[in-house]
Amino acid sequence: MFIRKKSVWLFLLPGLLGLLLFYVVPFFGGIYYSLTDGTYRNAFVGISNYTGMWQNQMFLLGLKNTLELSLICAPLVWVFSFFIASLLNRLRPRGAFFRNSVLLPYLMPSSAMLLFWLVIFDFGGVINRLVTALGFDRVMWLQGTEMRVPIILLFVWKNLGFAVIIFLSAIQAVPEPLYEYATLEGAGFLRQTFGITLPMIVPTAFLVIILEWINAFKIFKEVYFISGSYPDESVYTLQHYMNNMYNKLNYQNVTTAAYSFAVIVFALFGVLFLTQRRLLKRLS
Amino acid sequence: MEFRQPGGRKLFTRAILGVLAIVMLVPVIVTFLYSFCSPQEIEAFMKTRGNYDTSVWMEVKLSPKIFSLGQYYEILVLDMSILRMFVNSALYAVMILLGQAVVVPMMAYALSRFRFKGREAIFFGIIMLMLLPFQVTMVPNVLTLRTIGLLNTVWAVIIPMWFSPFYIFLIRQFMLGLPNELLEAAQVDGAGTLRCYAYVVMPVCRPVIGAAVALSFADCWNLVEQPMTYLSQRMDLYPLSVEFNRLAGSNAKIVFAGAALYILPALFIYLYFLDDILSGVQLTELK
Repeated sequence: MFIRKKSVWLFLLPGLLGLLLFYVVPFFGGIYYSLTDGTYRNAFVGISNYTGMWQNQMFLLGLKNTLELSLICAPLVWVFSFFIASLLNRLRPRGAFFRNSVLLPYLMPSSAMLLFWLVIFDFGGVINRLVTALGFDRVMWLQGTEMRVPIILLFVWKNLGFAVIIFLSAIQAVPEPLYEYATLEGAGFLRQTFGITLPMIVPTAFLVIILEWINAFKIFKEVYFISGSYPDESVYTLQHYMNNMYNKLNYQNVTTAAYSFAVIVFALFGVLFLTQRRLLKRLS
Repeated sequence: MEFRQPGGRKLFTRAILGVLAIVMLVPVIVTFLYSFCSPQEIEAFMKTRGNYDTSVWMEVKLSPKIFSLGQYYEILVLDMSILRMFVNSALYAVMILLGQAVVVPMMAYALSRFRFKGREAIFFGIIMLMLLPFQVTMVPNVLTLRTIGLLNTVWAVIIPMWFSPFYIFLIRQFMLGLPNELLEAAQVDGAGTLRCYAYVVMPVCRPVIGAAVALSFADCWNLVEQPMTYLSQRMDLYPLSVEFNRLAGSNAKIVFAGAALYILPALFIYLYFLDDILSGVQLTELK
């Protein structure tokens, strides 16, 4: 550890300069935009942009959908990746093929995979063949609310692997004797997973849900891939609203929407962080 | 190990993971197989999409009837428009990664191996920035890009990505775990902070740097939001990742070759950096 070395600023300078110039300073500058009316006078209007925004139907729709989709996707990836990592851990030191194939999609451009998705989720496609084989009617996956299913699956397919890797490295650090003792006591796989593994990796579990949630806010990508720029109401996300406002050069609405969203995001993560603190205290 | 898992249940584990592996791999494999269909065959196949007559099915197609390089011939020789977008994508990926290579490890080094006033504050700021989704950070980005006149140029996509907080976080967490003796030994030999960085820290951080390169490449190769907002008036600068949706409708006869070509660099990156990703991702917790 270097203490009080002046050269630290040499290492910090490029990054700090960029962060200040592109993120921090304009972030505060943007607050000014969100408080003015955007006409040639640029009059100060207080919080009326914000109150207006919270009555704007399209904004609320985008916000609702973004939150809903992320609340489905993030926990889905979280739960699946934890179980897959636990299963992979049982096969250690073998099972490398399984682990590697789960990681592969994370490096794949989902933009190129959308073709496969469009083919299998078609009305006459493979997925509907399975659906009818199970005795149900065909579903129009690429229209209306049902469109959420292929979108969510594309997201999960791509993002599962990274979460599995993070979980796996944490699970591998759990001391082996704990499991041996549990086996002697007669605890099965599920008991061991919930009784030993999960409490031992709470910080990692917390990190994964946060990372996946951040990722899930970007679900605009998957929506755009499958339904284009003008999607159905059920998958109209906040990003669609903001792009729309941005293209109309309505910076007031763009900044107001962004900052309203920032407040919500920080509130959500704040709650999550406090929950984790509580949980850790109770466990120790 | 064997003790913990008596006989049959491990088979069950293998079965679940086997099915999972197939689900993970099939989309990639089928995309490659389709790219070897002749343009006519795949166009006819894609035309059967979107038929809402309940008596008709799409053919379940796994591989081409006749192996053909026709699609590749069209996109590589006859019509270069897909290739041009591919070059755009490559340009963005290379420029972003070069910038990150300068900025990110240095920042992580300063935040992990130095003790100075304001360190915690800077790191806290980076964590906050990491939590903010693109919908929020695009606002400050746009304001600056507009002020210095870079909107609708390639730099609008490239420069903001150089300061990606997630990779600073990733590398910093790894550097925190390096043993102190490592740097003390170098200091005793008279190495300054710069020499320690270049000759001690960077070589030891090979796995996490590799992981960061691979993950960041995956991001750059799948750009959508940034080009769509920052380049809204310069569609000719779009990377290929934005265009597949449109091509699936208008250029169905060659789009699978385009997709396979687009997957190929990502596949190389994956194979080359696989071990680094597995050993470099050691994020213990949010500190």
